[in-house]
Amino acid sequence: MALPHIFEASWPDPTKLGVDSKSAAILLNEARETFAGHLGVRSDEISFLGEPNLGFHLALNGLLAPSLRMVYSNIDRMEIFAIAQSHPNLKLATSASGEIDFKECANSDVVSLQLCNRETGIIQVGRPENCAELFVDATASGTRIGLPENWSAALWDSTSWAGPSGLGILAISKKAKWKNPLPHLDGRVNPGPTSLPLIVASALAIDSWVADEKNLAAKITAINTEIRTYITTKIPDSDLAPGGADHLLSASFLYINAEQLVTILADKGFAVDSGSACSAANMEPSHVLAALGTLTQGNIRLTIHHGTTFEEVKAFLEVLEQTVSELRA
Amino acid sequence: MEVLDCLGKRCPLPVIELAKVLKPKPVNSQIRLLSDDPASAPDLIAWARMTGNKVTELGESTFEVTKLTD
Repeated sequence: MALPHIFEASWPDPTKLGVDSKSAAILLNEARETFAGHLGVRSDEISFLGEPNLGFHLALNGLLAPSLRMVYSNIDRMEIFAIAQSHPNLKLATSASGEIDFKECANSDVVSLQLCNRETGIIQVGRPENCAELFVDATASGTRIGLPENWSAALWDSTSWAGPSGLGILAISKKAKWKNPLPHLDGRVNPGPTSLPLIVASALAIDSWVADEKNLAAKITAINTEIRTYITTKIPDSDLAPGGADHLLSASFLYINAEQLVTILADKGFAVDSGSACSAANMEPSHVLAALGTLTQGNIRLTIHHGTTFEEVKAFLEVLEQTVSELRA
Repeated sequence: MEVLDCLGKRCPLPVIELAKVLKPKPVNSQIRLLSDDPASAPDLIAWARMTGNKVTELGESTFEVTKLTD
Protein backbone atom coordinates (compact mmCIF):
# COMPACT_ATOMS: atom_id res chain seq x y z
CA MET A 1 0.00 0.00 0.00
CA ALA A 2 1.49 3.37 -1.02
CA LEU A 3 1.37 6.33 1.37
CA PRO A 4 -2.02 7.76 0.48
CA HIS A 5 -2.98 11.33 -0.31
CA ILE A 6 -5.43 11.27 2.61
CA PHE A 7 -2.62 11.92 5.10
CA GLU A 8 -2.40 15.43 3.57
CA ALA A 9 -6.12 15.94 3.03
CA SER A 10 -8.78 16.04 5.69
CA TRP A 11 -10.13 12.69 6.90
CA PRO A 12 -13.60 12.31 5.38
CA ASP A 13 -16.14 9.81 6.74
CA PRO A 14 -16.00 6.69 4.53
CA THR A 15 -19.69 5.92 5.15
CA LYS A 16 -20.98 9.20 3.61
CA LEU A 17 -21.59 9.99 -0.08
CA GLY A 18 -19.44 12.81 -1.57
CA VAL A 19 -16.25 12.37 -3.61
CA ASP A 20 -13.86 12.64 -0.66
CA SER A 21 -15.89 10.13 1.35
CA LYS A 22 -15.80 7.73 -1.58
CA SER A 23 -12.03 7.93 -1.76
CA ALA A 24 -11.90 7.34 2.01
CA ALA A 25 -14.12 4.27 1.56
CA ILE A 26 -11.82 2.95 -1.17
CA LEU A 27 -8.87 3.48 1.15
CA LEU A 28 -10.61 1.63 3.97
CA ASN A 29 -11.26 -1.29 1.63
CA GLU A 30 -7.64 -1.33 0.50
CA ALA A 31 -6.56 -1.44 4.16
CA ARG A 32 -8.99 -4.27 4.82
CA GLU A 33 -7.58 -6.26 1.87
CA THR A 34 -4.03 -5.56 3.08
CA PHE A 35 -4.78 -6.99 6.53
CA ALA A 36 -6.72 -9.93 5.10
CA GLY A 37 -3.77 -10.84 2.89
CA HIS A 38 -1.18 -10.72 5.66
CA LEU A 39 -3.33 -12.37 8.34
CA GLY A 40 -4.74 -15.16 6.19
CA VAL A 41 -8.44 -14.38 6.54
CA ARG A 42 -11.16 -13.09 4.20
CA SER A 43 -11.56 -9.32 4.10
CA ASP A 44 -15.28 -9.60 4.95
CA GLU A 45 -14.41 -11.50 8.12
CA ILE A 46 -12.47 -8.52 9.52
CA SER A 47 -13.73 -5.88 11.98
CA PHE A 48 -11.63 -3.03 13.32
CA LEU A 49 -11.71 -2.26 17.04
CA GLY A 50 -10.73 1.02 18.66
CA GLU A 51 -10.07 -0.88 21.88
CA PRO A 52 -8.15 -4.04 21.04
CA ASN A 53 -8.86 -5.79 24.36
CA LEU A 54 -12.61 -5.47 23.78
CA GLY A 55 -12.03 -8.14 21.13
CA PHE A 56 -11.55 -10.83 23.79
CA HIS A 57 -15.06 -10.17 25.08
CA LEU A 58 -16.64 -9.87 21.63
CA ALA A 59 -15.02 -13.04 20.31
CA LEU A 60 -15.39 -15.35 23.30
CA ASN A 61 -18.76 -14.25 24.61
CA GLY A 62 -20.07 -14.37 21.03
CA LEU A 63 -18.90 -18.00 20.66
CA LEU A 64 -19.92 -19.21 24.12
CA ALA A 65 -23.48 -20.46 23.66
CA PRO A 66 -25.06 -21.29 27.07
CA SER A 67 -24.45 -25.04 26.76
CA LEU A 68 -20.74 -24.66 25.99
CA ARG A 69 -17.75 -24.78 28.33
CA MET A 70 -14.84 -22.35 28.06
CA VAL A 71 -11.34 -23.89 28.09
CA TYR A 72 -8.30 -21.68 28.60
CA SER A 73 -4.85 -21.87 30.17
CA ASN A 74 -3.09 -20.41 33.19
CA ILE A 75 -0.72 -18.37 31.00
CA ASP A 76 -3.56 -16.71 29.08
CA ARG A 77 -4.17 -12.98 29.51
CA MET A 78 -6.13 -11.60 32.46
CA GLU A 79 -8.91 -10.53 30.06
CA ILE A 80 -9.47 -14.24 29.32
CA PHE A 81 -9.55 -15.05 33.05
CA ALA A 82 -12.21 -12.36 33.53
CA ILE A 83 -14.43 -13.77 30.76
CA ALA A 84 -14.13 -17.34 32.16
CA GLN A 85 -15.75 -16.18 35.42
CA SER A 86 -19.15 -15.98 33.70
CA HIS A 87 -19.06 -19.45 32.08
CA PRO A 88 -18.62 -23.09 33.01
CA ASN A 89 -14.89 -23.41 32.46
CA LEU A 90 -11.75 -25.52 32.54
CA LYS A 91 -8.38 -23.89 33.23
CA LEU A 92 -5.48 -25.94 31.83
CA ALA A 93 -2.07 -25.82 33.53
CA THR A 94 1.05 -25.26 31.47
CA SER A 95 4.15 -27.46 31.72
CA ALA A 96 7.37 -25.84 33.03
CA SER A 97 8.36 -25.15 29.43
CA GLY A 98 5.03 -23.51 28.61
CA GLU A 99 3.33 -26.32 26.69
CA ILE A 100 -0.39 -26.83 27.06
CA ASP A 101 -2.02 -30.21 26.50
CA PHE A 102 -5.47 -29.81 24.95
CA LYS A 103 -6.40 -33.51 24.94
CA GLU A 104 -9.11 -32.99 27.58
CA CYS A 105 -11.04 -30.73 25.20
CA ALA A 106 -14.44 -31.99 24.10
CA ASN A 107 -16.77 -31.04 21.25
CA SER A 108 -18.87 -28.95 23.63
CA ASP A 109 -15.90 -26.65 24.40
CA VAL A 110 -14.96 -23.19 23.22
CA VAL A 111 -11.17 -23.19 23.45
CA SER A 112 -9.04 -20.09 23.84
CA LEU A 113 -5.63 -20.63 22.22
CA GLN A 114 -2.79 -18.15 22.70
CA LEU A 115 -0.40 -18.51 19.75
CA CYS A 116 2.37 -16.58 21.50
CA ASN A 117 2.67 -15.40 25.09
CA ARG A 118 3.40 -11.70 25.12
CA GLU A 119 5.41 -11.74 28.36
CA THR A 120 7.78 -14.60 27.62
CA GLY A 121 7.49 -15.28 23.88
CA ILE A 122 6.38 -18.89 24.49
CA ILE A 123 4.91 -20.25 21.25
CA GLN A 124 2.10 -22.69 21.79
CA VAL A 125 2.63 -25.75 19.60
CA GLY A 126 -0.33 -27.77 20.89
CA ARG A 127 -3.62 -27.41 19.00
CA PRO A 128 -7.07 -28.46 20.21
CA GLU A 129 -8.29 -30.99 17.66
CA ASN A 130 -11.63 -31.53 19.33
CA CYS A 131 -13.73 -28.48 20.17
CA ALA A 132 -16.95 -26.69 19.23
CA GLU A 133 -15.28 -23.35 18.51
CA LEU A 134 -11.68 -22.09 18.62
CA PHE A 135 -10.74 -18.55 19.62
CA VAL A 136 -7.18 -17.57 18.70
CA ASP A 137 -5.36 -14.89 20.70
CA ALA A 138 -2.89 -13.62 18.11
CA THR A 139 -2.28 -10.31 19.89
CA ALA A 140 1.39 -11.09 20.52
CA SER A 141 2.14 -13.32 17.53
CA GLY A 142 0.94 -10.82 14.91
CA THR A 143 1.99 -11.90 11.43
CA ARG A 144 4.56 -14.43 12.70
CA ILE A 145 2.30 -17.47 13.16
CA GLY A 146 -0.57 -18.52 10.91
CA LEU A 147 -4.04 -19.41 12.14
CA PRO A 148 -4.95 -23.06 12.75
CA GLU A 149 -7.37 -24.36 10.12
CA ASN A 150 -10.26 -24.82 12.57
CA TRP A 151 -10.24 -21.21 13.86
CA SER A 152 -13.59 -19.57 14.67
CA ALA A 153 -12.47 -16.10 15.78
CA ALA A 154 -9.06 -14.42 16.06
CA LEU A 155 -7.78 -11.19 17.54
CA TRP A 156 -4.68 -9.18 16.59
CA ASP A 157 -3.18 -6.02 18.06
CA SER A 158 -1.73 -3.45 15.69
CA THR A 159 1.29 -2.90 17.96
CA SER A 160 2.54 -6.42 17.17
CA TRP A 161 3.63 -5.22 13.71
CA ALA A 162 4.88 -1.89 15.08
CA GLY A 163 1.64 -0.21 14.04
CA PRO A 164 -0.11 2.45 16.14
CA SER A 165 -1.60 1.40 19.47
CA GLY A 166 -5.36 1.53 20.05
CA LEU A 167 -6.29 -0.65 17.09
CA GLY A 168 -7.38 -4.26 17.24
CA ILE A 169 -8.33 -6.50 14.34
CA LEU A 170 -10.98 -9.08 15.02
CA ALA A 171 -11.76 -11.78 12.49
CA ILE A 172 -14.83 -13.92 12.84
CA SER A 173 -14.90 -16.93 10.54
CA LYS A 174 -17.91 -17.34 8.28
CA LYS A 175 -18.00 -20.94 9.54
CA ALA A 176 -18.30 -19.99 13.22
CA LYS A 177 -21.56 -20.01 15.16
CA TRP A 178 -21.00 -16.52 16.56
CA LYS A 179 -23.70 -14.32 18.04
CA ASN A 180 -23.01 -10.69 18.82
CA PRO A 181 -22.92 -10.28 22.64
CA LEU A 182 -23.45 -6.49 22.35
CA PRO A 183 -26.89 -4.93 21.87
CA HIS A 184 -27.29 -4.50 18.09
CA LEU A 185 -29.86 -3.90 15.36
CA ASP A 186 -27.73 -4.70 12.33
CA GLY A 187 -24.94 -7.06 11.33
CA ARG A 188 -22.07 -4.91 12.52
CA VAL A 189 -19.70 -6.62 14.96
CA ASN A 190 -18.87 -3.46 16.91
CA PRO A 191 -20.71 -0.15 17.07
CA GLY A 192 -17.69 1.81 15.70
CA PRO A 193 -16.69 4.02 14.07
CA THR A 194 -13.02 3.09 14.29
CA SER A 195 -10.42 5.72 13.46
CA LEU A 196 -9.63 5.66 9.72
CA PRO A 197 -6.20 7.31 10.30
CA LEU A 198 -5.23 4.49 12.68
CA ILE A 199 -6.44 1.81 10.26
CA VAL A 200 -4.52 3.33 7.34
CA ALA A 201 -1.36 3.86 9.42
CA SER A 202 -1.54 0.29 10.68
CA ALA A 203 -2.04 -1.08 7.15
CA LEU A 204 1.11 0.79 6.04
CA ALA A 205 2.93 -0.55 9.11
CA ILE A 206 1.96 -4.18 8.49
CA ASP A 207 3.17 -3.96 4.87
CA SER A 208 6.56 -2.64 5.86
CA TRP A 209 6.77 -5.01 8.84
CA VAL A 210 6.19 -8.08 6.69
CA ALA A 211 8.69 -6.83 4.09
CA ASP A 212 11.36 -6.40 6.82
CA GLU A 213 10.49 -9.51 8.81
CA LYS A 214 12.25 -12.05 6.59
CA ASN A 215 15.42 -9.96 6.27
CA LEU A 216 15.66 -9.22 9.99
CA ALA A 217 14.65 -12.60 11.44
CA ALA A 218 18.23 -13.90 11.57
CA LYS A 219 19.48 -10.75 13.33
CA ILE A 220 16.70 -10.89 15.94
CA THR A 221 17.38 -14.59 16.60
CA ALA A 222 21.09 -13.83 17.06
CA ILE A 223 20.35 -10.93 19.44
CA ASN A 224 18.02 -13.12 21.51
CA THR A 225 20.69 -15.84 21.75
CA GLU A 226 23.31 -13.22 22.68
CA ILE A 227 21.14 -11.87 25.53
CA ARG A 228 20.29 -15.34 26.86
CA THR A 229 23.91 -16.48 26.77
CA TYR A 230 25.17 -13.31 28.44
CA ILE A 231 22.62 -13.44 31.27
CA THR A 232 23.17 -17.16 31.88
CA THR A 233 26.97 -17.00 31.88
CA LYS A 234 27.73 -13.55 33.33
CA ILE A 235 24.96 -12.72 35.79
CA PRO A 236 24.75 -15.12 38.74
CA ASP A 237 21.41 -16.11 40.30
CA SER A 238 19.45 -15.28 37.14
CA ASP A 239 16.43 -17.17 35.87
CA LEU A 240 15.30 -17.09 32.25
CA ALA A 241 11.64 -17.78 31.55
CA PRO A 242 11.04 -20.33 28.77
CA GLY A 243 10.76 -18.55 25.43
CA GLY A 244 10.02 -19.22 21.81
CA ALA A 245 9.41 -16.10 19.73
CA ASP A 246 12.80 -14.47 19.25
CA HIS A 247 11.64 -10.87 19.71
CA LEU A 248 10.53 -11.47 23.31
CA LEU A 249 12.51 -12.44 26.39
CA SER A 250 11.81 -12.46 30.12
CA ALA A 251 14.54 -12.75 32.77
CA SER A 252 14.53 -12.55 36.57
CA PHE A 253 17.29 -11.86 39.07
CA LEU A 254 17.31 -13.09 42.68
CA TYR A 255 17.46 -10.53 45.50
CA ILE A 256 16.57 -7.65 43.16
CA ASN A 257 13.73 -5.15 43.46
CA ALA A 258 12.40 -4.88 39.90
CA GLU A 259 11.09 -1.36 40.36
CA GLN A 260 14.58 -0.12 41.25
CA LEU A 261 16.14 -2.09 38.38
CA VAL A 262 13.65 -0.81 35.77
CA THR A 263 14.05 2.78 37.02
CA ILE A 264 17.86 2.69 36.84
CA LEU A 265 17.78 1.09 33.39
CA ALA A 266 15.33 3.79 32.23
CA ASP A 267 17.67 6.51 33.56
CA LYS A 268 20.46 4.97 31.50
CA GLY A 269 18.28 5.01 28.36
CA PHE A 270 16.88 1.48 28.23
CA ALA A 271 13.10 1.01 28.31
CA VAL A 272 12.15 -2.39 29.71
CA ASP A 273 8.96 -3.72 31.26
CA SER A 274 8.58 -5.93 34.33
CA GLY A 275 6.33 -8.73 35.56
CA SER A 276 7.33 -8.38 39.22
CA ALA A 277 4.79 -7.59 41.93
CA CYS A 278 6.51 -4.36 43.01
CA SER A 279 6.12 -2.90 39.52
CA ALA A 280 2.45 -3.95 39.08
CA ALA A 281 -0.48 -1.72 39.94
CA ASN A 282 -2.18 -4.49 41.95
CA MET A 283 1.10 -5.55 43.69
CA GLU A 284 0.59 -9.11 42.42
CA PRO A 285 3.41 -10.91 40.59
CA SER A 286 2.90 -11.92 36.95
CA HIS A 287 0.57 -14.92 36.85
CA VAL A 288 2.49 -16.14 33.80
CA LEU A 289 5.83 -16.31 35.63
CA ALA A 290 4.18 -17.91 38.67
CA ALA A 291 2.46 -20.54 36.46
CA LEU A 292 5.77 -21.40 34.81
CA GLY A 293 7.66 -21.58 38.11
CA THR A 294 9.98 -18.79 36.96
CA LEU A 295 11.28 -16.42 39.64
CA THR A 296 8.96 -13.38 39.77
CA GLN A 297 11.18 -10.94 41.68
CA GLY A 298 13.68 -8.76 39.84
CA ASN A 299 11.96 -9.50 36.53
CA ILE A 300 12.50 -7.63 33.28
CA ARG A 301 10.74 -8.19 29.97
CA LEU A 302 12.52 -7.28 26.77
CA THR A 303 11.18 -6.68 23.27
CA ILE A 304 13.71 -6.79 20.46
CA HIS A 305 12.50 -4.41 17.77
CA HIS A 306 13.36 -4.54 14.08
CA GLY A 307 15.63 -1.52 14.60
CA THR A 308 17.47 -2.93 17.64
CA THR A 309 21.23 -3.17 16.98
CA PHE A 310 23.96 -5.41 18.41
CA GLU A 311 25.76 -2.30 19.73
CA GLU A 312 22.67 -1.25 21.73
CA VAL A 313 22.26 -4.76 23.09
CA LYS A 314 25.93 -4.98 24.10
CA ALA A 315 25.70 -1.63 25.93
CA PHE A 316 22.44 -2.72 27.58
CA LEU A 317 23.85 -6.02 28.82
CA GLU A 318 26.89 -4.33 30.38
CA VAL A 319 24.64 -1.81 32.17
CA LEU A 320 22.31 -4.63 33.28
CA GLU A 321 25.16 -6.71 34.70
CA GLN A 322 26.61 -3.72 36.54
CA THR A 323 23.23 -2.55 37.89
CA VAL A 324 22.25 -6.01 39.18
CA SER A 325 25.62 -6.31 40.90
CA GLU A 326 25.32 -2.82 42.48
CA LEU A 327 21.75 -3.42 43.69
CA ARG A 328 22.82 -6.66 45.35
CA ALA A 329 25.78 -5.08 47.16
CA MET B 1 12.87 -24.04 65.22
CA GLU B 2 14.09 -20.51 64.51
CA VAL B 3 11.38 -18.28 63.12
CA LEU B 4 12.07 -15.45 60.65
CA ASP B 5 9.11 -13.08 60.66
CA CYS B 6 8.74 -11.24 57.35
CA LEU B 7 5.01 -10.57 57.63
CA GLY B 8 4.09 -7.31 55.92
CA LYS B 9 7.39 -7.15 53.98
CA ARG B 10 7.16 -6.87 50.21
CA CYS B 11 9.01 -8.80 47.54
CA PRO B 12 12.01 -9.22 47.32
CA LEU B 13 12.73 -8.50 51.02
CA PRO B 14 11.62 -11.89 52.47
CA VAL B 15 13.95 -13.80 50.11
CA ILE B 16 16.83 -11.35 50.75
CA GLU B 17 16.45 -11.67 54.53
CA LEU B 18 16.14 -15.44 54.33
CA ALA B 19 19.39 -15.72 52.36
CA LYS B 20 21.16 -13.41 54.84
CA VAL B 21 20.02 -15.37 57.90
CA LEU B 22 20.82 -18.71 56.30
CA LYS B 23 24.33 -17.76 55.10
CA PRO B 24 26.32 -18.39 58.33
CA LYS B 25 24.33 -21.49 59.30
CA PRO B 26 25.57 -25.06 58.71
CA VAL B 27 24.05 -27.35 56.07
CA ASN B 28 20.80 -29.05 57.18
CA SER B 29 19.78 -26.03 59.33
CA GLN B 30 16.07 -25.35 59.29
CA ILE B 31 14.17 -22.09 59.54
CA ARG B 32 10.48 -21.31 59.63
CA LEU B 33 9.75 -18.26 57.47
CA LEU B 34 6.58 -16.23 57.86
CA SER B 35 5.67 -14.17 54.79
CA ASP B 36 2.30 -12.99 53.48
CA ASP B 37 3.55 -11.33 50.30
CA PRO B 38 1.76 -12.82 47.25
CA ALA B 39 5.11 -13.24 45.47
CA SER B 40 6.66 -15.26 48.29
CA ALA B 41 5.17 -18.66 47.48
CA PRO B 42 6.33 -18.74 43.83
CA ASP B 43 9.61 -16.98 44.65
CA LEU B 44 10.65 -19.21 47.55
CA ILE B 45 10.06 -22.28 45.37
CA ALA B 46 12.09 -20.67 42.55
CA TRP B 47 14.80 -19.64 45.06
CA ALA B 48 15.06 -23.24 46.34
CA ARG B 49 15.38 -24.56 42.77
CA MET B 50 18.01 -21.96 41.83
CA THR B 51 20.14 -22.25 44.99
CA GLY B 52 19.74 -25.99 45.67
CA ASN B 53 17.89 -25.61 48.97
CA LYS B 54 14.51 -26.92 50.09
CA VAL B 55 11.27 -25.03 50.80
CA THR B 56 8.00 -26.55 51.94
CA GLU B 57 4.87 -24.41 52.02
CA LEU B 58 2.97 -25.22 55.22
CA GLY B 59 0.05 -22.87 54.51
CA GLU B 60 -1.10 -19.78 56.41
CA SER B 61 1.90 -17.71 55.22
CA THR B 62 4.35 -20.22 56.73
CA PHE B 63 7.27 -21.86 54.94
CA GLU B 64 9.75 -24.42 56.22
CA VAL B 65 13.22 -23.87 54.77
CA THR B 66 16.08 -26.37 54.88
CA LYS B 67 19.58 -25.29 53.93
CA LEU B 68 21.11 -28.00 51.72
CA THR B 69 24.10 -26.21 50.16
CA ASP B 70 26.68 -23.69 51.30
